[in-house]
Amino acid sequence: MKKTKSIIINLMYMMLILVVAFMLSLTVGNVFHTDSLIPAIFTLAVFLISIITGGYIYGVIGSILSVLALNYAFAFPYFKFNFSISENLVSAIIMLIITVISSTLIIQVKQNEKTKAEAEKEKMRANLLRAISHDLRSPLTTIYGSSAVIIEKHNELSNEQSLKLVKGINEDSQWLISMVENLLSVTKIDSGNVKLNKIPTVLEELIDAVLVKFRKRYPEQRVIVDIPDEFVTIPMDALLIEQVIVNILENAVQHAKGMSELILKCFVVGENAIFEIIDDGCGIAKERMNNLFTGYYVSENADAPVDVRKNGMGIGLSVCASIIKAHEGTISAENRKTKGSCFRFSLKMEAEDSEQ
Amino acid sequence: MNNKFKILVVEDDSNICNIVKTILETNGYQVIDANNASNGKTVFLSHRPDLMILDLGLPDIDGIDFIKNIREQSDTPIIVLSARTNEADKVMALDMGANDYVTKPFGTDELLARVRATLRDNRRNANGEKISKTKFTTRDMVIDYEYRRITIGNNDIKLTQIEYNIVELLSINAGRVLTYSEIIKKIWGYVDSGSIKKLQVNMANIRKKLGETPGENKYISNELGVGYRMNMIKEEVN
Repeated sequence: MKKTKSIIINLMYMMLILVVAFMLSLTVGNVFHTDSLIPAIFTLAVFLISIITGGYIYGVIGSILSVLALNYAFAFPYFKFNFSISENLVSAIIMLIITVISSTLIIQVKQNEKTKAEAEKEKMRANLLRAISHDLRSPLTTIYGSSAVIIEKHNELSNEQSLKLVKGINEDSQWLISMVENLLSVTKIDSGNVKLNKIPTVLEELIDAVLVKFRKRYPEQRVIVDIPDEFVTIPMDALLIEQVIVNILENAVQHAKGMSELILKCFVVGENAIFEIIDDGCGIAKERMNNLFTGYYVSENADAPVDVRKNGMGIGLSVCASIIKAHEGTISAENRKTKGSCFRFSLKMEAEDSEQ
Repeated sequence: MNNKFKILVVEDDSNICNIVKTILETNGYQVIDANNASNGKTVFLSHRPDLMILDLGLPDIDGIDFIKNIREQSDTPIIVLSARTNEADKVMALDMGANDYVTKPFGTDELLARVRATLRDNRRNANGEKISKTKFTTRDMVIDYEYRRITIGNNDIKLTQIEYNIVELLSINAGRVLTYSEIIKKIWGYVDSGSIKKLQVNMANIRKKLGETPGENKYISNELGVGYRMNMIKEEVN
């Protein structure tokens, strides 16, 4: 679909440039009464075609057409094809060579840009990996250590003691689960050609799924829900957006100290569905604001003995950002004037294709 | 005498197999296990279990193909164990004939609830008296199949015909997830491009009428991207 579209567009560019070159040559010929400018004009045209379309094929086709046009209209005998004159043949060959060289150069330049972006991505991935392996160590230590103690000493441990150890295992595996879910989402998005499974999702069902999941992990934390009464569907990859909201809610529980109220709000403004997660906790520290969604801020204080869970959410938020970005939406966070913080993201309402 | 339900667990990861076994055995089921599809098939044929729990990612045969294979000769209920990431897989397994699924990582409660629901569901089917029950009850909701009436507490719930049909369908399969396409086919008879939306709108109305609130769906829970499930109250043990 997209491919044929781009081919058509490129062909149209090519034809347009050639027609312009042809007209220009005609007028130039009439004004200056000389043919010497005309090959230059066509050379420029072929060069432009290579740049704009960025492909060999269009350049080569363009140059062949130019050669034909030159031969037909602007070389003796006028308005007649004649390839027996070696002069014309040589000019055709030169034209082709120019095309191929310029196309090659252009493709190289484009490739360079790509490798640069690739390198950037690679760096991000390396950062992520480093942060993760660091974060994985603590829960794994708990799980490994506790289970080893239980295996070795199961006769000597009191019920209470072993229960405590097992609870630790349970808690830290919970955390590992959410970490792995985040990672899976990242790889889903990062794997080159983003293929989001975008389907119209009923807002109410999404919020329901989010709350069910969130309550499983934090049964005590109440969430105040404020969504429109009417039936709203939003095109999205529901599992990924579910994860975004759960991540932000968890983030609030873990970081917004002194929070008494957690609000999940969604409303529609024009073409966009806006989601807000609002808490009345301690707000976001200024120095964190800048790289809230980008930095895996573990790396900055990798050696600081901070609680593992706090570090982990740095990854959670950056996962949110990349999910929203893949949806072509926006995400932001701010401190509220009164108290606490507000995370906000928006999604486009209209379906991609001819839905319905 | 042994009149326990016999459950076959087909799972290649020995740790997970162990957990499932322990959970089931401590809850009064007899468990046999197999670590790949071909062993699973052999054990299945020789032991004729009442239920099979099947991991989709087996080393020898693709789980979906395995379900197909089993379904060609048996209606024994199958519960699929699957990773969370792929909704499409779950839907495919269900449409292929699996009765339900449990997502890894899962909790004890979840697994047991699915097992109970599936066994109960299948027993009723086997007796050929699917709707012989005239009433269905979950929590404070009562569905009277004869009079096509739904009450919650003392309140009559007024549903449209289609809405009632959906609720009835879900209640007959209570405890089990029904995929969107399964519901659509049974309610409207055909699937077209707008039918998912139709179902979603009807479900929204049903939820409103039943007084459900997001995060606390008491009667019907939604499985994002897969389908809907009528909840059962903690199962009466028989």
